Amino acid sequence: MREPIVIDNLTKYYGKFLALDSLTLRVEENENVGLLGPNGAGKSTTLKILCGLIRSSSGTAHIDGVNVAEKPEQALARIGTIVETPEFYPFLTPEETLSYLGRLRGMRGDELRRRIKEVIKLVRLEDWGKVRIEKFSRGMKQRLALAQALLHDPPVLILDEPALGLDPRGIVEFREVIETTGKEKAIFFASHQLVEVTQICQKVAIIDHGRLLAYDDITQLEKKYQTLERAYLELTGGSFE
Amino acid sequence: MSESEKLRIVTAYEFLKHIRRRRLYVILGLTFVAELAVLILIPALMKGYPDNMMVMAGMLSIGPTLATIGAVFFAGDAIAGEFEGKTGLILFTNPVKRITLVTGKYLAGCAAVILLIIFGYAITSISLWAIYGNVPIATAKSFGLCLLYAGSVLSVTFFFSSISKGAMGATVTTLVFITVISGIIASVLMLAGKSTWFLLSTASDSIFTVYGGYELLFQGVMPAGSMQMMPFQIKNPDIGLCALGMVIYLAVGFVLSLWISQRRQLA
Repeated sequence: MREPIVIDNLTKYYGKFLALDSLTLRVEENENVGLLGPNGAGKSTTLKILCGLIRSSSGTAHIDGVNVAEKPEQALARIGTIVETPEFYPFLTPEETLSYLGRLRGMRGDELRRRIKEVIKLVRLEDWGKVRIEKFSRGMKQRLALAQALLHDPPVLILDEPALGLDPRGIVEFREVIETTGKEKAIFFASHQLVEVTQICQKVAIIDHGRLLAYDDITQLEKKYQTLERAYLELTGGSFE
Repeated sequence: MSESEKLRIVTAYEFLKHIRRRRLYVILGLTFVAELAVLILIPALMKGYPDNMMVMAGMLSIGPTLATIGAVFFAGDAIAGEFEGKTGLILFTNPVKRITLVTGKYLAGCAAVILLIIFGYAITSISLWAIYGNVPIATAKSFGLCLLYAGSVLSVTFFFSSISKGAMGATVTTLVFITVISGIIASVLMLAGKSTWFLLSTASDSIFTVYGGYELLFQGVMPAGSMQMMPFQIKNPDIGLCALGMVIYLAVGFVLSLWISQRRQLA
């Protein structure tokens, strides 16, 4: 079985603070994996290392067999990402932004124009394609972030709190998009929303203080702890009332 | 896709950003107003334009100011802004080398500043032609030095942008470095009778002293003999050495900004 994401003994220090402690996990082909953990657990650090935004102190991260630290451009060509709440250049429109990012990924001409139309429709920004992003709300920017992550139809999606800033309708629409597009992709998805994770992912990794506490199918965790919420709270030391 | 193709794309879209920003048009407007003020105030206050065309050319020369303001405002947020504004979370996750991204931003900044400088020199040349029926050859020399100066200020700004947390910090630091620190050191060195060719403030002076040196240019605005009454002797900058100094700032600033940007993490 192909493993689009392989994290091996990943450790990250910020000064003396240990953010990731020998984290090891693998995401298999077409597998949707949720990354759960309290604030400061190391979720964003893990995803940022996978996206080449920060370097690990030790250990390795591979995307589709490519070492992210050694060949970042090759690794990044295989992924679509939403990290935290990204911002866009306010002077450009969504169409221009997607055209810029698409061209940087080698897309062009009719293929690019068609794909831009498709993803803009997918995230329901059809009426805003030619409007400068400076007029956009946070939720609209998050929709655009999803559009740029899907633009080049990558085999791997790395998403960090992708529904942050979306209204309830936006969250439902986002979930539908991910459920549809995610069937043929590997998704590694950090979130605080257990319901969201349950609906999108088959497996979850629970981490705290940079350490992997559990990595299993949701059904297995529910069998062992009754619910995913209980599993999360017991493993991360939270109280369950 | 080759890196040179990616560089072309980055440069084009970064330039589009500059074209869309209001600050480009504000600086163009201010340039026009400043040149117009010189053209109106000089004959009003001095009973006509100076007889010597070179004096007027020097007075109309706002190239150094334009290059400084343009470079600082277009480049201050070039690198720091990607980290501060989190636009880097989108841009840096694309399969493009940081070196390509920073170089593209640099080239786009250069293009925007060159646009400003061309506008400024066009006004100067048209004005001189209208008043004297001629444009001095030294204008071309001044224009060339101004482009080099803009490149060096842009590199210095990129350096400060690469080490600053925010765009405002990078902008202010660069302005203070060029206009205050460099100016103070130049004054102290001049007082001590030392050479100042390696300072950006002196490089900026070289852009208008090509028209005939400080003495000729000050004739138009200062009483006769004022230069001799100064506590220290003002030497005209050596154009060749100043150009060398600017090339050094341009190369060192740019290479350092590439090196630092390459290592900077978006935590």
